[in-house]
Amino acid sequence: MEKIESPFSTAAELALAARHEIIKMTSAAKASHVASALSVVDILSALYAGAADISPKNLNDPTRDIVILSKGHSASALYSVLALQGFFPLEWLADYCKNDAPLGGHVTSKGVPGVELSTGSLGHGLPYGLGIAMSRKKSGVSGRVFVVLSDGECDEGTIWESAMIANHHGLDNLLVIVDRNKIQSLTFTEDTLKLEPFADKWTAFGWETEEIAGHDYQALEKSLATQNSPKCIIADTTKGKGVDFMENSVLWHYKSPSPEDVTKAFEQLSENY
Amino acid sequence: MRDTFVKTLLVEAKKDSNIILMTGDLGFGVLDEFQRELPGQFINSGVNEQTMMGLAGGYASTGKRVFVYSIGNFPTLRCLEQIRNDVCLMNNPVVVVSVGAGYAYGSQGYTHHALEDIAVLRALPNMDVIVPADPHETVGITQLLTSTKNPSYLRLGKSNEPLIHDKEVSITPGKINEITSGADGTIIFSGSVGVIALEAAKELESQAISVSVASMPFVSRIDLDYLKGSAKKGPIIIVEEHSYRGGVGSAVLETLSMQGITAQVALVASAQTNLSQIGDQDFLRNENGINVFSIVSKFKALLAG
Repeated sequence: MEKIESPFSTAAELALAARHEIIKMTSAAKASHVASALSVVDILSALYAGAADISPKNLNDPTRDIVILSKGHSASALYSVLALQGFFPLEWLADYCKNDAPLGGHVTSKGVPGVELSTGSLGHGLPYGLGIAMSRKKSGVSGRVFVVLSDGECDEGTIWESAMIANHHGLDNLLVIVDRNKIQSLTFTEDTLKLEPFADKWTAFGWETEEIAGHDYQALEKSLATQNSPKCIIADTTKGKGVDFMENSVLWHYKSPSPEDVTKAFEQLSENY
Repeated sequence: MRDTFVKTLLVEAKKDSNIILMTGDLGFGVLDEFQRELPGQFINSGVNEQTMMGLAGGYASTGKRVFVYSIGNFPTLRCLEQIRNDVCLMNNPVVVVSVGAGYAYGSQGYTHHALEDIAVLRALPNMDVIVPADPHETVGITQLLTSTKNPSYLRLGKSNEPLIHDKEVSITPGKINEITSGADGTIIFSGSVGVIALEAAKELESQAISVSVASMPFVSRIDLDYLKGSAKKGPIIIVEEHSYRGGVGSAVLETLSMQGITAQVALVASAQTNLSQIGDQDFLRNENGINVFSIVSKFKALLAG
């Protein structure tokens, strides 16, 4: 498979541009989940900058890779990355959450090129991706399936049922990336429902498991490149990454950036990147 | 009905490798032949209906027609949101297949009684709810479902259902299949309760009242022409092995109301008076008011108007 040429060929450039879009979108739409989007945007950027074989040009190729964002509340991150990579017009981002606009507050697939599955209810993306991976495996069709989960989402039973099924069927074309930012809806994951020892759980379910720095593009690209069985990458991330007043704060799971917040956040981005 | 379904599906699946049969670890002795003959088109997901239904949605999105088989409430109520989001919203070609409609697993208790499934699945956009009357209808409907792509719910009985039609029937989506014709009114039924409807028609006949009896397998697509004709003729009784709340009767009444059709309608459905009552299918039907007496008395009450 030839290397995909995209407007942004490095994850770092793509992610920085996407961070600006995410902050603008969530502010303009008065929408929640800006910190969740900033947490996952480096993972998505690594995938769409080349780690996954997917581009606006090969969308109709049944052997291309599939990316499913199961944590559908991070829609602004996925939409930004897709728009910046040319899957649909950048102008769509300005209409995020507006009446009759294509882009909704949770990931919507209908009429949005590059989005595989509408998500928003947690625990749906992995079973769905599992189905695609199983069908491809049984039919001898190449192409991998990447499913991005939130850590809080791993409270759902369907995650662990899927983990068992993928291992049982030897699905070496299925790769999970968990955005391990350690915060869920009301408080920290370990104060809500303990996930640790998290990597050991995936390993015990028969998955190849790697724990990596989730904002390190090289580490992401290296880990995404190979797998010999179903693989889980636990990407250690920071909720709100890149904007210090949003980092590691439950408040910014919900709060929408005010115009002043946007100015401050952009200043932070120029300092930090 | 379930054997007829699996046999018919196997014939079609041999011709089309895109047909997949998925089960949530149920179908002992029923699915064996399919699994043996077409192992590449058979998946036992394990006991995990929610994950199985999401999996089926993803699997179907790759161009496969996926039939998901289990008992009554398990492939329906247990995984409702997966059907809603991953099948109906995404418009994936999944057929949810339940066996043991109504009280077919009567003695197994309320967990195994399927009495709310039509109401719940009928409420989902894009979902085509289909309830065959007998093995003959099951053949035609199964064949139809192998050649279509829309999300569907096939509600089957269990085993040894009596034949209502004397031969295979040609199935037209959205059409009611009339079995006998009469001048004074109509008994419409869905599913294997047709035998009760026919008995009631005989009883009415003995009282010099002549009614049509008709099977209505397509619950989400109402046969308006047939209903208009029936409404003109006389009372309409709708018989189903399901709760009164939201089932086939409700579907007909909604349509009549929205179309502004005036009709005399009564429902014969489960009263669900005692959820914990144990017994065989005939016993529980009768206890819950799905019987000849209910049909006859409701019909005569409407006729007396």
